[in-house]
Amino acid sequence: MRTKGTAGRIARYLLLIAVCAWTLAPVAWMISLSFKGPTEWYAPNIVPAQPIVDNYINLFIPTNPIGGSHFFTSITEPITKPLINSLIVAGLGTLFAVLVGFLAAYGVSRYRAGGTFTIFFTLLTRMLPGATFVAPLMVFYSSIRFIDTYVGLVLLYTAVTLTYAIWLMKGFIDEIPPEWEEAALLEGASPWTVLRKVTIPLTKGGLAASALFIFILNWSEFLFALVISVTQVTTLPVQISKYVSAVGRMYGTQASIGIIATIPSVALGYLIQKHLVTGFTFGRVR
Amino acid sequence: MEITDRLAQWMGKTESFKKLSTLPLSLILNFVLIVPFSIMIYLSFTKWEPLAGYDWWRAPIAGIPRFIESFADARLAWALIRTAIFVAVVLPLEFLLGLGMALLFLGDFRGKKAFTSIILYPMMMPWVVVGLGFYLMFQYFGPVNLLILRPVFGEGAMIDWFTDPVLAFSVIMLADIWQWTPLMFLIIYAGLAAVPRRLVEAAEVLGASPSRILTTVRLPLIKPLVVIALIIRGLEAFKVFDIVYIMTGGGPGGNLTEVISLYVYKLAIVYNNTSYACAVSLIIMVAIALITRLAIRPLEVKVE
Amino acid sequence: MPKLVVKDIRKVFGTFEAVKNVSFQVEEKETLCLLGPSGCGKTTTLRIIAGLEVPTSGEVFVDGVLVNDVPPQKRQIGLVFQDYAIFPHLSVFENIAYGLRVRKMPDAQIKTKVHETAALVDVESVLDAPGKKLGLSEMQRVAIGRSIALDPKLLLLDEPLSNIDAKARERMRAELGKLQKEIGIATVYVTHDQLEAMTLADRIAVMKNGLIEQIGTTSEIYDNARTLFVANFIGSPSMNLIDCELVYSEERAILKSGDFTLDITEFAETIKGKPKGKELVFGIRPENVSVDIEKTDPTAVEAEVQLVEPLGAKSIYHLKISGVTVLAKGHPMAEVNVGSKVWATFNKDKLHLFDKKTEEAIF
Repeated sequence: MRTKGTAGRIARYLLLIAVCAWTLAPVAWMISLSFKGPTEWYAPNIVPAQPIVDNYINLFIPTNPIGGSHFFTSITEPITKPLINSLIVAGLGTLFAVLVGFLAAYGVSRYRAGGTFTIFFTLLTRMLPGATFVAPLMVFYSSIRFIDTYVGLVLLYTAVTLTYAIWLMKGFIDEIPPEWEEAALLEGASPWTVLRKVTIPLTKGGLAASALFIFILNWSEFLFALVISVTQVTTLPVQISKYVSAVGRMYGTQASIGIIATIPSVALGYLIQKHLVTGFTFGRVR
Repeated sequence: MEITDRLAQWMGKTESFKKLSTLPLSLILNFVLIVPFSIMIYLSFTKWEPLAGYDWWRAPIAGIPRFIESFADARLAWALIRTAIFVAVVLPLEFLLGLGMALLFLGDFRGKKAFTSIILYPMMMPWVVVGLGFYLMFQYFGPVNLLILRPVFGEGAMIDWFTDPVLAFSVIMLADIWQWTPLMFLIIYAGLAAVPRRLVEAAEVLGASPSRILTTVRLPLIKPLVVIALIIRGLEAFKVFDIVYIMTGGGPGGNLTEVISLYVYKLAIVYNNTSYACAVSLIIMVAIALITRLAIRPLEVKVE
Repeated sequence: MPKLVVKDIRKVFGTFEAVKNVSFQVEEKETLCLLGPSGCGKTTTLRIIAGLEVPTSGEVFVDGVLVNDVPPQKRQIGLVFQDYAIFPHLSVFENIAYGLRVRKMPDAQIKTKVHETAALVDVESVLDAPGKKLGLSEMQRVAIGRSIALDPKLLLLDEPLSNIDAKARERMRAELGKLQKEIGIATVYVTHDQLEAMTLADRIAVMKNGLIEQIGTTSEIYDNARTLFVANFIGSPSMNLIDCELVYSEERAILKSGDFTLDITEFAETIKGKPKGKELVFGIRPENVSVDIEKTDPTAVEAEVQLVEPLGAKSIYHLKISGVTVLAKGHPMAEVNVGSKVWATFNKDKLHLFDKKTEEAIF
């Protein structure tokens, strides 16, 4: 590594550029498509010859023709509702997951709460394919009329991301030496006060990172949203799938909705860059 | 006296706190997961569909014919095989490419932080958008055909990617590799960087070349890490759904790229074959639980 | 021909000059010790010899061949790290065999060689143990074995005994010394422990701040310290160093420090004109100050005992002589206690005189 030499260095940079090109390609193409008019959708040029924002506008005003021609998508509703739905569902799901998960993580970490079954079960929820759950879920939710409700979906999201929440936050809690909390307890503080005054301020950063990570997961979630939603709680990913299966290959509009869905996810992802690996591996790998 | 009083008080509080802390967790899990799970077990022993006309809890118990049905289900078998192939291809490739990238990034060079940042973003994208992106790229009049194949190999080289099951499946696998190689890269890179420099130097002084050091010192030392990463990624890969749904919907021909998650989904939602779906789901769940329990046990002991 | 020649080595890290100018030679079968406090550049010098660092300027010759551009893999030098750097995932056998496998030696030969080496360093009993389960002294022996299995031209050791606790250190020191005699390779040894250096080395190079203060045999370094630093660093307890002035009165040359005087007229000739400044430091090792209850020597002076440190076979006496504190090393004397009056005799042959600016005037 020391005596790499110029040839080695050039090779390294060439490979790096190749890897970057490969990494950026799909999104670059989508960005390009999203600014192209229908005449260019089947063309190979990366830079649009006549860039337009109609694709994006069309997402919000479906009656707006694209590229001046009468190209409409067959989707008749604007994406404002799915967008808001995604925000609400992902946000609330994250909030509850963090609250419940933090409490549980704290109990497990400091008080050894919950037997091995709890832990095993939370792990299991991650191991099993979501699809295996769909059949009974439908039956159950229809019976209690949770289909197509915010409550139903948010509860589901909370349950499903709890594993991540607990493992992530437990890791952060474990890093704080228990001595400070024990000192506070001996002074007569109740465990709740200790939480409020000692633990939370110390783990703020970790909690925030966990919350953002879970938000990204919820934002991207597709299967359960697809199953639970009918018309009211359609989330963005579900809407995307509708655009793809809609009649008429509206590449431009599909690309634009893809980009819109990606931006919050990637932006948040960069905020918690350091913690991504910890998140995806349940804290087994730092 | 004061202290012991306080301690006793504290004890009382902690006990209740302990139970309370996991209470919300249990409530939610029980409600959202365990209840449906029990329903699932129940239903798999019945024969019921939403269109049957009566409520599900009144469904007649039919015993185990559902389970027997699953053994004769060719489509199920194919879905499982395809999923197995998916995992078997995607996992090693993600590992090798991740390893390659980690080696590429080893050592210092200008712009390392910037390059690392760029490489990471695929992991942050919603799965469906990844599927969408590759779907758009591999369209007949898309950039792969128009910018790579036609210029290099001529007009006849353009491929209709999504009408051939093998090609379509390959694109799906490519999308997964594209998205998750960065994760393997990060894990492997962290592991390699954690190898103590002294050990590398000791090997150098003993005459080992960089490639020899890689195989005899670095890789063996990151083995436990890699095993964990592979297991986690493997489990996730088995569950693949989003990209298949978006890119092919299981097609061509309706089910030639169908993976297990997609098949079960269709059984439950599209064909409304509820009790059969439950039976299949149950079988899969039990199988996975057993396999991971068996596989993880010896590994956990080793890692200790 | 010397096995190792190090010439004018200089190494700069950014703005920090770790090694300013170091030159020395090591002959076959000779053990040279680089001795000095932490940060003096001795480990850096060692790493430069091994090839793990590239010198900013200067040359290294092994067996007469310039090796500056030769990577560490090819230098055929053995290096034992301070923390031994044993491969934790390999057995002791594989650790020792590592270099041999790199050389593609046939298995049967490897087996013999490893067993030979293991016998030499006394690790035969743990040959199958995994690297991470070894104790510290075992690790050290395996590290040494690993290096010498390749029959290197030169053996480098970086503070091999600093990780070992005091009790085991004495034993390891003896073992190491015995091993060195048996193996007989040219060795460069880095340490900050002057006792180690004195026992194990043929020659010592005392380093400070990237420079060699003095280089010579152990007795040379001990008896003829050329700089204040060397005098102070070597010897346990350290040499008595007392600020003084040289005064001439009535044809007598006298060292004066407060009320304390020491007549050195017999050396007046040798030191004439040499001291550059007025401020001098004279030094004498505690073992060269003898203590007696009675005045047995005409030159003895009266001293008051401030403290007695019994060390078993010897005792250290903290004496106050005319206002100056002097340490003396002598036989334990039960009658001598704090406050006792004794007679101290200075062995003038072992006297050192330094200019305050780290220089020496007489032996």
